[in-house]
Amino acid sequence: MANVLWLQGGACSGNTISFLNAEEPTVVDLITDFGINVLWHPSLGLQLGDEVQQLLHDCVNGKVPVDILVYEGSVVNAPNGTGEWNRFAGRPMKDWLTELSKIAGFVVAVGDCATYGGIPAMEPNPSESLGVQFLKRNKGGFLGADYVSQAGLPVINIPGCPSHPDWISQILVAVATGRVGDLTLDEFHRPQTFFRSFTQTGCTRNMHFSYKATTQDFGQRTGCLFYDMGCRGPMTHSSCNRILWNRVSSKTRAGMPCLGCTEPEFPFHDLKPGTVFKTQTVMGVPKELPAGINKKDYALMTVVSKDASPSWAGEDFFTV
Amino acid sequence: MAVQKLEISPVGRVEGDLDVRVDIEDGQVVNAWTKAELFRGFEVILKGKDPQAGLIVTPRICGICGASHLTSASWALDTAWGTEVPRNAILARNLGQLVETIQSHPRHFYALYAIDLTNKKYKNSPFYEEACKRFSAFTGTSYELAITTSAKPVELYALFGGQWPHSSYMVPGGVMCAPTLTDITRGWGIMEYFRTNWLEPVWLGCSLERYEEIQTYEDFLEWLDESPNHANSDLGFYWRMGLDIGLDKYGGGPGRYLTWGYLPHEDKYQHPTIEGRNAAVIMKGGVYDSFTDMHHMVDHTFARENTSHAWYEEGTADVHPFDRTTQPKHINTNDYEGKYSWSTAVSHKDLGRMEVGSLARQLVAGGKHGESWQHYDGLILDMFKKMGGPSIHLREFARMHESVKLYREVERCLREFKLNDPWYIKPTEKDGRGWGGTEASRGALCHWVEVEKGKIKNYQVIAPTTWNVGPRDGNHTRGPIEEALVGIPIEDTSNPVEVGHVARSFDSCLVCTVHAHDAKTGKELARFRTN
Ligand code: SF4
Ligand code: SF4
Repeated sequence: MANVLWLQGGACSGNTISFLNAEEPTVVDLITDFGINVLWHPSLGLQLGDEVQQLLHDCVNGKVPVDILVYEGSVVNAPNGTGEWNRFAGRPMKDWLTELSKIAGFVVAVGDCATYGGIPAMEPNPSESLGVQFLKRNKGGFLGADYVSQAGLPVINIPGCPSHPDWISQILVAVATGRVGDLTLDEFHRPQTFFRSFTQTGCTRNMHFSYKATTQDFGQRTGCLFYDMGCRGPMTHSSCNRILWNRVSSKTRAGMPCLGCTEPEFPFHDLKPGTVFKTQTVMGVPKELPAGINKKDYALMTVVSKDASPSWAGEDFFTV
Repeated sequence: MAVQKLEISPVGRVEGDLDVRVDIEDGQVVNAWTKAELFRGFEVILKGKDPQAGLIVTPRICGICGASHLTSASWALDTAWGTEVPRNAILARNLGQLVETIQSHPRHFYALYAIDLTNKKYKNSPFYEEACKRFSAFTGTSYELAITTSAKPVELYALFGGQWPHSSYMVPGGVMCAPTLTDITRGWGIMEYFRTNWLEPVWLGCSLERYEEIQTYEDFLEWLDESPNHANSDLGFYWRMGLDIGLDKYGGGPGRYLTWGYLPHEDKYQHPTIEGRNAAVIMKGGVYDSFTDMHHMVDHTFARENTSHAWYEEGTADVHPFDRTTQPKHINTNDYEGKYSWSTAVSHKDLGRMEVGSLARQLVAGGKHGESWQHYDGLILDMFKKMGGPSIHLREFARMHESVKLYREVERCLREFKLNDPWYIKPTEKDGRGWGGTEASRGALCHWVEVEKGKIKNYQVIAPTTWNVGPRDGNHTRGPIEEALVGIPIEDTSNPVEVGHVARSFDSCLVCTVHAHDAKTGKELARFRTN
C-alpha cells in the first residue's frame, strides 16, 4: 500500500481534473486495484478544517507515512518570500511543502506550474511563483537543486498544461508497484518514457510537414501547422500523438498548433504581441527549427521537399 | 449563551482554498465569513500581451471551466474586433461548452457533494446504509461509475479541440478545427454511450422522454412514485434521502439570482456585438428577484465590483470592471471587520448581491421575459415557490436537472453542422473594447478586454465564484455563501459537515475567484518579481 498526499498551491485544478479522465488505469482502479491510499486530496478528500490540519501535522511528525507527495500548482512566495498570498490550512502553503518534502518517500510535481512555475510565473510573476525544483530552465526552484526525497530521488516532474492523465496515473502505478527503478529521468526530471519523443511523433499532419504543405489558416483539415501557425510539435518533447488525449485526439490532429506546454519555456515568447499562433520567421525561414537540424540542411530539405511534393499534399484528403 | 467562533481551514472539495469562519450560538450559525486564500495575478500577467493571449492564459485560470473561459475570451475579442463568426463555429463553441458542463454535473454531484451523505452525522437515517453503498468515495458503486462515465462527454470536446481540459480551439472569427463526418458520428456515439450507461439507467431510472414530461412539482412527485426504477435511481434516492435528512431546510442565500445568458444562436449571432447578445442567446439571461417575484433583463453594464473588504487598495466605491485599477494589498492579514479575502464583492448596480449558478439559470428559465424562441422551463421556479424558497436540496436538484436539456442541445448541434461550410473567417485585428460572457457550470462568467495599440491594455474577469463567494461589500452586506450559511444548524462543531454542504451546493471554485486584477501600472508589481 502506498499513501498519497496530494496538495495544490498556485493551481487551476486542471491536473486534478485531467487526472479524473485517466483510463489506463482509472483513478478508481488506482485505489481499488493498485493499493494506493489517498490520504487527502483538495477535491476528493473527505475531511475538512481541523481534521485536515491534524492529518498534515501527523504526516510531518512521521505518525502517518507519506509515500508519495503529489504537488500541483506553483509554489507561491509572494509577498516578499513570505508565501502569505497562498495560505492553506492556516499557514503559507510553502511552509507545508518545506516540511512535507522532508518526510516524503517520493515527490511528484504534476503540471507545468509545479514543474517550472508555469503560467503564474510568467512575467511579471506577481505571485513570485516557483516550480518545486525548477524555475523555467533553471534547476533549483523552491526545494533547491540538491533536493532528494527519502527514496533518494529528486522531484519527479510530469509537466504539461495540464499533464496527460495517463502520464500521472502510470507514474503513480510505477512507484506503487516498485517499478521506480525503471524510471529514467531527463535533464528536467521528466520520465523519458513519455518525454523522449516529440509531439510530432504520430501527428496526422506529419506527411504535410514532410512535403512542406502548410495549413494556411484555422478551420482547415489539411496541411502542417509548423510553417505559419506556430506549431511547436517538432521541438516539443511529449507523447500527445502517441498516447492520445481523452482517448481520441490531440491538439494538432484537431487543428490547433502545439504550444509546447511540456517544455520549460511555455508559454513561449511570454505571449508578446505578434507571437500567438504565428510562426516566428526571419526572411521566410522559421526562427526555431525542428530539434536537431541546422539552418543549412533545413533550407536544402525545403527545396527538395517542395519539388517532391505530391499533388495530394495541397488537397484536403480528410474529406467530409 | 456565548458565541462560539469556528474557523474552518480548508473547507476542501471546492476547487481552490476556501476558508470559512462561522459564529455559532445555540447550535446555529449567526454570522459567517468566506475567504479566498490564493492570489496568482492573471490579469496582471495579461497586461501588455498579445490580444489573443487571453485564449491561452484564461482557460488556465480554472482547469474545471476552461472551455467556459475560452468561450468568454473568444466572444470578448469577437466583439472588440468586429468579426464574423460562421454558424459551424458558433455550434462548435457551444458544443464545447455543453459537454464541459455535462461532464461537470456528475463529477460535482458524486465526487464533491454526495460523499458527504456518508458522513457519520446521518448514521441514523434509514437511507444511510444505501448511501454508503452508492456514494462512498472511490468504492461506492455509483461513485466509480460516475467518475469513469463522466470522462466520456469531454471525449467529444477532444474531437473538436484536441483535448480537454485546456484546449484553445476557439479563436476570434471561429474555431481551429474542421471536423469530418467521422468526428461527428463518433461524437454522437460517445454521447449515446453516456446516455445509455449513466444518464438514463443510473441517474434518472427512465428515458429522457419520460423525464422531459415533468413540468411541475406535482409532476415530479408523481414521477417519483410511478415506478421503483424512478424512486431508486440515484436521482430518486437522493431526493428522498435529502428530504429525510433535512437538506431542504437550510442554505438559502441572498434570494436574487443572475444569469447573463449563454449559447449564442448559430444564425443570430454571426456578427457579434455587445448590444446584440441578449436577444441572440438560446438560454436567456436575466435576474430573478424572489422578494418581488419578478424577472428583469440584464446587460453587462450593471456589473459592479467592490473591494472594501477585499485585499486590494482601491477605495470603497463600486466600480464597473472596465474601470478597475486593481492594486493587491501587500499585507493580507485577516481582519474580519476590515479586509479578509482575495475575492471582491460583486453586485448588480440596481438589484444588489446575487447568487449565480444552476439554480439561478433555472429560476430565470422560468421567466416569461425574453424572445419567443429562447429557452423556457418552469419546473425549478415552480418547485422553488411550492417548497418555500431556496435550499441546498433545490440548488443541487437544479444542477442535475440541466443535464437532460444540455444533452438535447448537444444532439441539436451535431445535427446542425454543415461539414462543407466554413469554420473560420479570418478577422482583422484592431483596437477596441470587448465583452464576452457565458455560463460556466457553476454560473455566470464574463471577460472584459481592452486592446490598445495592438496589445492588451486591460483584462478583467468576473467568475461565478466571485459572485458567490465574495466577502461583504461597501454596505457590509454579506456575500451569497456567507448569507446562505447564516441560520444553518451545526450539530457537532468537530464535524461541521453542514458548512461543507452549503459551500458545495454552490459548487464554488476558488481557483476562479483568485484572479488578480489589473494593477494601476504594471511596473508597480514588478518589485514582487522573483529573480
Ligand atoms: S502540425 Fe505540428 S506536430 Fe503536426 S506535423 Fe505539423 S509541426 Fe508536426
Ligand atoms: S500538443 Fe503540445 S501544447 Fe498540446 S498538450 Fe501536447 S505538448 Fe502540450
